[in-house]
Amino acid sequence: MMNSLVQAILLGGYYALVACGLAFMFQVMRIINLAHGSLAILSAYLVWEITDALALSPFVSVLMILPIMAIIGLLLQRVILERATKGGELLPVLTTFGLAIVIDNLLFQQFGANTRSLSPYLGDLSWESYEIFGLWIGKLPVIVLITAIVVIGGLDLILRFTPLGRQIRATAFDPDTAGLVGIDARKIAGISAAIAMMTVAISGTALGLRGTFDAYAGGPQLLFAFEATIIGGASSLWGVFLGGIILAIAQSIGALIHPQGFLLGGHFMFLIFLFARIYFNRDVFTLKHWFAKRNKGEITA
Amino acid sequence: MLSVSNLDVRYGQFRAVQGVSMEIAKGDVVSLIGANGAGKSTLLRAIAGALPIHSGRLLFKQQEITNTSSSSRVQQGLSLVPEGRRLFSDMTVEENLLLGSTVKRSGDWNIERIFSTFPNLVKRRHAKTGNLSGGEQQATAIGRALMSNPDFLILDEVSLGLSPLVVNQVYDSMESLKDAGTTILLVEQDLERAMRFSKRTICMLEGRVVLDKLTSDTNKEEITQAYFGLHQSSKQEVS
Ligand SMILES: Nc1ncnc2c1ncn2[C@@H]1O[C@H](COP(=O)(O)OP(=O)(O)O)[C@@H](O)[C@H]1O
Ligand SMILES: [Mg+2]
Repeated sequence: MMNSLVQAILLGGYYALVACGLAFMFQVMRIINLAHGSLAILSAYLVWEITDALALSPFVSVLMILPIMAIIGLLLQRVILERATKGGELLPVLTTFGLAIVIDNLLFQQFGANTRSLSPYLGDLSWESYEIFGLWIGKLPVIVLITAIVVIGGLDLILRFTPLGRQIRATAFDPDTAGLVGIDARKIAGISAAIAMMTVAISGTALGLRGTFDAYAGGPQLLFAFEATIIGGASSLWGVFLGGIILAIAQSIGALIHPQGFLLGGHFMFLIFLFARIYFNRDVFTLKHWFAKRNKGEITA
Repeated sequence: MLSVSNLDVRYGQFRAVQGVSMEIAKGDVVSLIGANGAGKSTLLRAIAGALPIHSGRLLFKQQEITNTSSSSRVQQGLSLVPEGRRLFSDMTVEENLLLGSTVKRSGDWNIERIFSTFPNLVKRRHAKTGNLSGGEQQATAIGRALMSNPDFLILDEVSLGLSPLVVNQVYDSMESLKDAGTTILLVEQDLERAMRFSKRTICMLEGRVVLDKLTSDTNKEEITQAYFGLHQSSKQEVS
């Protein structure tokens, strides 16, 4: 029981990592990028190629593909999303859906149906564990969880305390007025897409390190990212972090109830949160809601 | 400094601003008068780049800006304090002001000078602007625009919703801008105040300019007539 919970939290770290880019792009640019999962798989293949060709550690390869994915993000914004958003709300969804199919098929053509993994390049680290209170905890999942905390924490700090973060928040809040104070909305959108794609690169690598992937693995990653984002509430990145963990816990509870219940448990939790968000006050589930309440209580007290 | 020629701005089919032309020279202080819905805000937003221009031309410092982005206009020294303040309400006063200096233009304005110009903001420096009083919000909105060190400042109904006392404070602080030679175009509902503050008055009616005179060459009666559209009808009666 305790073991399942710990494993679920570690898996939740991965979900948070794959979700944070999707949520970031939605928050800042109001775009749901349906190619998110496929781009993560693209990154996983890139890391695999570099690791294999140059005999590097995957941890070094991922640093090399960060700038590549950043440029892909910038191009994605300039070539596709910028035009698509001019055509209304639905067009970006359709174009990114099309992009996902194109990426999946190109990856299949290039790499075939075999599954790949990055774990063979890790040596002992792929199976090493910590023993804590009689529980065996894999080092790798812990590294992924810590990475999720560092990435989300880093993004949060950038958003809060840097001029760039301020400009991103202002653009997300009111793009017209952001322009009037001198913020170049185009530049901000490009940078935001680049940042989101860097998190995608990291999450794709995490997937390859934790297990296996193939050309069509993008769909499930998108689904997990989407479920974690909705459960956590797209408005805050730490909420998305919690969403990832809640999703993973629901999945393990599903698996405890029935051997095939893993995914169903997650979907069920996702639906509960989705309906609750639709039918109740939209931010009942956000930290802000509760903290704001408490602050008000303090003031009146 | 700003040359507007034959400007047309539309919301769909509706022509909110039609055939507007005006020249504003360096150091001018102009007030734009007109009833609700006359198209003043539409004109100002189009000048600042927040609305697309349907036809006509806009020159700023002899450069064509008709189709440039609002941020590039700020970069060139044109800044708008929008109607209703439009602050980033989940950010603090300081953050809002810092956003105003996104474009790096040189000049005298910096955050400390804003706080000494608007002393009511000092104790609110780290408060979210959503929780401020109307006067504090307006001061923040003006301060944010000043942080870009504009050569040309446009203010849309800065006294809306403020108590007379606070309006006085706001105008007092704007006097110093005038003295510093900043070119100002402002919309003000209080006609007397507008006439006292500005050297020139432009009156709009139903999307068109119906009067454009030095304030010293006109009077309250003439402006009021133009405001209500009595100007033309009286002319028609004469002819
Ligand atoms: N966003 C909008 N969409 C459609 N019509 C608008 C919009 N904003 C203003 N209008 C219309 O344009 C006209 C001019 O409005 P506005 O420029 O706000 O006038 P003013 O600032 O002089 O009160 C009004 O008739 C108003 O109803
Ligand atoms: Mg108006």
